[in-house]
Amino acid sequence: MIQTKNLTKRYGSLLAVDRLDLFVPKGSIFGFIGPNGAGKTTTIKMLAGLIEPDTGTILIGDTDIRQNPEKAKQQIGFIPDRPYLYEKLTGLEFLKFTADLYGVEESGFRKKAENILDKFSLIDWKNELIEAYSHGMKQRLIMSAAILHDPKIIIVDEPMIGLDPAGIKMVKHLFRELADSGKTFFISTHTLSIAQDLCDKIGIIQKGKLIATGTLEDLKTQAHASSGDLEAVFLKLTREESFQQSVPDAGGAIP
Amino acid sequence: MNDILTLMTPRLLSFKNKKDGNFTRLLVLGIIGVIFWGGLFAVSLRLLSYFQSIEELGNILAWKLLSMVLVIYFSLLVFSSILTALSKLFLSKDLMLVHAMPVSSYKIFCARWIESAVDSSWTIIIFTLPVLISYGIIFKSGPFFYVLIIMVLLLLSIIASIISAMVVMVTVIIIPPGRIKSIFVFLGLLLFLLLYLAFRVIRPERLVDPEAFENFLSYLKILETPSAPYLPSTWAFDVIQASLTDVSHTLFLNLSLLAACACAMIFISLIIADAIYMKGVSKSQTARKTLRKPKVTKNPRILSFLPMHVQAYVIKEIKTFFRDQTQWSQIFLILALIVIYIYNFKVLPLERAPIKTVYLQNILAFVNIGLASFVLTAVTGRFAYPAVSQEGEAFWIVSSSPIRLKTFLWIKYFIYFVPLLVLTLVLIIATNILLQVSPFMMWLSIISILFIVPSIVALGIGLGAAYPDFNAENAAQAITSFGGLIFMMLAAVYITVVIVLEAGPVYRIFISGIYDQSISTARWVWIIGSFGLAALISIFTVIFSMKYGEKNLTKTSRRMK
Repeated sequence: MIQTKNLTKRYGSLLAVDRLDLFVPKGSIFGFIGPNGAGKTTTIKMLAGLIEPDTGTILIGDTDIRQNPEKAKQQIGFIPDRPYLYEKLTGLEFLKFTADLYGVEESGFRKKAENILDKFSLIDWKNELIEAYSHGMKQRLIMSAAILHDPKIIIVDEPMIGLDPAGIKMVKHLFRELADSGKTFFISTHTLSIAQDLCDKIGIIQKGKLIATGTLEDLKTQAHASSGDLEAVFLKLTREESFQQSVPDAGGAIP
Repeated sequence: MNDILTLMTPRLLSFKNKKDGNFTRLLVLGIIGVIFWGGLFAVSLRLLSYFQSIEELGNILAWKLLSMVLVIYFSLLVFSSILTALSKLFLSKDLMLVHAMPVSSYKIFCARWIESAVDSSWTIIIFTLPVLISYGIIFKSGPFFYVLIIMVLLLLSIIASIISAMVVMVTVIIIPPGRIKSIFVFLGLLLFLLLYLAFRVIRPERLVDPEAFENFLSYLKILETPSAPYLPSTWAFDVIQASLTDVSHTLFLNLSLLAACACAMIFISLIIADAIYMKGVSKSQTARKTLRKPKVTKNPRILSFLPMHVQAYVIKEIKTFFRDQTQWSQIFLILALIVIYIYNFKVLPLERAPIKTVYLQNILAFVNIGLASFVLTAVTGRFAYPAVSQEGEAFWIVSSSPIRLKTFLWIKYFIYFVPLLVLTLVLIIATNILLQVSPFMMWLSIISILFIVPSIVALGIGLGAAYPDFNAENAAQAITSFGGLIFMMLAAVYITVVIVLEAGPVYRIFISGIYDQSISTARWVWIIGSFGLAALISIFTVIFSMKYGEKNLTKTSRRMK
């Protein structure tokens, strides 16, 4: 499970994340959506322990990431949006590096790594230098590395960038399978159809504030929309919020 | 022309909008630059004045020096332009964006070439000026001479950069750009080393000692230069010489040759660019698949005493280091440096020295501690200082891993500490054996080095972590940054302090040994105090540098977006 309380982060005068309270239960997939610059990546990086919040707490399982970052990170598999890797290692060598870093047993490594590479259609490329990989292949390699140490929590920033349709289908299937086996997912994305298809719950962030959260049905209720897909709900909610923020005394009146 | 200017606007605007160049940074860089410029100017003036004081030979030596300066200037420019042109024309990150625009490829080439020419030549021009200005002063030239040398340097820069751009364009058609850079760097270093070795073997110190030659004629013969009439640097030499000696027709002929050559080269390069530049760009975009098939195996047994995460970093560091072809040439350079360094000690004419040889040998051995430490600083600057920046944009792997940044830095530290210690010990022990120093001096050198190496490596890793550049296209260039300069300066200060602290006690012990004198208790206290202080400073340097690096790297990683 992932829990944040009163999470706040500022960049100078810009309030990137504003008192964010979230709860993602074990075995679920939580989608985090919002317009550009809403605070998604900042939130993701705080959850992954890449940047520290100014205030607030983050619980990864039962570990406070600020109190014990190493123990918390041991439980996380992080997949960033841009696949920067060590270009002079081969795919298999990179997995070995990750395995050693996260303390994966050496005895079962080879079999496990090859299984994962096979799952991500990278087995034929395992001994090629990463510099020869395409963008999508690098993204798949990062995903392979992220699940290699069997993390309880997987944090993903824009999971489908660079993947082909077959890759997207495979990743969606894999994420669902892992969530059903008890892994917790926190996914930030701009691709609303993926959030709609894949996520159990969705949170919408705008200007650093969580403006709505729940299942798609919950969001529809909050948006007073009886029908329509996530895109319509998202646009309605974010537009309303922008309006309310630009006219502070509008009293919630919606045009 | 408008298109070319538009293509250059991002660069100009980026320069204008650059906000990270704070005042202190610019001031420090400016002061260092001015000191270096002033030093070059003073040395050139002193040298030329000395030449003028030698009757008959003065002018010959001055012209010889001028021709050497211009040949070196031109060669340096060609070489540095090749590397810059390769990056600008074929390896830049924004290349695809630019080529997707509706602009002819020769215009893109032209804009990139201008950037490349400016980037590769401005520092060389600035630091060649003091030498040429000294000529103006010594030969009492008028203001026209100073305008002329700027024109000559600019024309030479244009010619060198356009030749390089053409060579690069043609070569890319044959060899993939990723490999060309390594090849050129390697060839350049090889050339440099061959020249240096040749220079050392000739022993130029003999040139200022005509008596060492059989007769005056053989001395003059050595000074004769084979002139290469088709080399632009020869035309440049003729222009400057003619201006200094008031031979106007030679001046204008050679100046016209330089200008015409530059114009013709630009014209030819544009035709070539129109024909093949796009082909090269297209070729450079094809994915490079490795020909080797490295197999992942179990971690080597030799590392089994280390924790798993440490093994992971050690193996990663070694593999990525040796698979990066640009590092090969550097390793080759280091090996050659060791050979040259040791060779220099071998050819020292100690037996002809006016002071007692044992005394001189041991003085040299002591000075050698400082010299070897400066070599160590240069090598640390090249390899250990960029070690953190080398992680590049993959630094997120380190930040998101369950390893503390402190551990990460200490792992980096030991990866570089071991080979650098071996390198410095080899330098010290080999040269001390050649110098046939006393056992006391041998042990003193070894113990000093055992304190100096950990400190210099800590300064390198610590400051490299404090001033990382994860976005650099070439992390090895990190040493030329502000942090790199701070590292160099602090290392120099540290080495000087240690050597100064040791010098007095070493002298005292040594003299007492030679003249069989006893050392008083008060002197022993002073000796132990000095050595102790040097050791304390070393330990403090290690701890402080690593802590400073960790603190700043933590801040940087938190700021990263």
